Amino acid sequence: MKFTPKHIEGNVNVSKTHPLAELGWLVGGLMLLVLIFYLLLGVSTDIAVAKIPVNAEVWLGEYFIGGMDALESDPLQKLLQPLLDNLPADSPLREYNFYVQMVENEQINALALPGGHIVMFSGLLEQAESENEVAMVLAHELGHFAHRDHLRRLGRGLGLTVAAIILFGEDSAASDLASKFFLVGESHYSREQESAADRFGLELLVASYGHAGGATDFFARVGKDAGSRVPYLLASHPHPDDRVRQLQELISANGYQIDAVTPLGEDLLEDLPISEAASCEEPVSGADE
Amino acid sequence: MLETILSYPDLSLFLALMVLGYTCGTIAEKRHYKSIIKREQELIKLMVVNAEGRFAEGAVKTSFLVNGSMVVSNDYFKRLLAILRNIFGGRVKAYESLIDRARREAILRMKEEARAKGAHMIVNLRLETSTIGRSANKKNRIGSIETLAYGTAVVMNRP
Repeated sequence: MKFTPKHIEGNVNVSKTHPLAELGWLVGGLMLLVLIFYLLLGVSTDIAVAKIPVNAEVWLGEYFIGGMDALESDPLQKLLQPLLDNLPADSPLREYNFYVQMVENEQINALALPGGHIVMFSGLLEQAESENEVAMVLAHELGHFAHRDHLRRLGRGLGLTVAAIILFGEDSAASDLASKFFLVGESHYSREQESAADRFGLELLVASYGHAGGATDFFARVGKDAGSRVPYLLASHPHPDDRVRQLQELISANGYQIDAVTPLGEDLLEDLPISEAASCEEPVSGADE
Repeated sequence: MLETILSYPDLSLFLALMVLGYTCGTIAEKRHYKSIIKREQELIKLMVVNAEGRFAEGAVKTSFLVNGSMVVSNDYFKRLLAILRNIFGGRVKAYESLIDRARREAILRMKEEARAKGAHMIVNLRLETSTIGRSANKKNRIGSIETLAYGTAVVMNRP
């Protein structure tokens, strides 16, 4: 047998696909999977949240709030009590043991956490001018509890993080990234959820104070600073001006009176950390007022 | 811009390593293939077979062992592609070229050694591949592979 040396053109052992094209396909496929998973998760959490018992939620809440630097604020609790007393007798909210905490933070924001915790940032209290205003914010957060929005939000963020952990392992950089990205991305309610909570809040405010005074003050003040309407087309929150308009329509449709507001109690103001910087900060873009 | 980079150090580092891996990896691979093809042409006359050699008596002057090896490292970009492949399955195309380069380079080095020692052919070629360092399978580590080519170089009794 004669050996004839010959150079073989081409290479069957290496695929021709361009690495960037492959990256595109793989990342695209992954995105698609995540999207499908996200949609399924949305549907399944909607079904599941209605069935989660309140005590399971309380446990979750304790787990969650562990990392928050909260001061218990008695005056806020006093403000919340009349609202709770005026809930309808058959309201599911009666099963909760609510308590309000103030967290020292410049954000103009309040949060509804699982288990009946309401967190109010001191930035919001510094801006507030009347008791009714703060009560409206509290009632709005109660609305989130009543519609169980807080669980829906947590459920999706948790689900996505769990999915990342299953795919990439518990302590991989990818899971860290996913948990940061998704938990941050998920930390807003939808526009519909916000509007529904506003309606709930208004009814509760009127039931508790007998009039709708102060209901729109907070959003009106925020709206003045919120600037252009355009970005709000895409934002998760309704524009503050739209919220004010919606509330005003509700007030006139239901014939609620608007009386003088009660000024903020001295005890509430005493607890505030003095920080001038807070009022100069740019307020609420995507906050959960 | 700088603020964004600083506020997400993990993500920035990840992207930087990706870009670095892709550019350096691509440049290195292109240059390596160029050199492989050139040297393969040069050494094409030196026969290498993996069959056992059988020679007529007196045909072989001397024979000896020759070997060549190459260690090649993964990069972050290829690693990302491989991780993504782990989800979907299929050919891990990113690693194919690495293994291919290591194999061809190892054979070339072996042939270069044989030529330097005056061999006329190499019989009984064998290839071995191993991962270097256990870190190859651990998190956030970049592994390498070694390919070893060895065979028997034969010097013929030629007039």
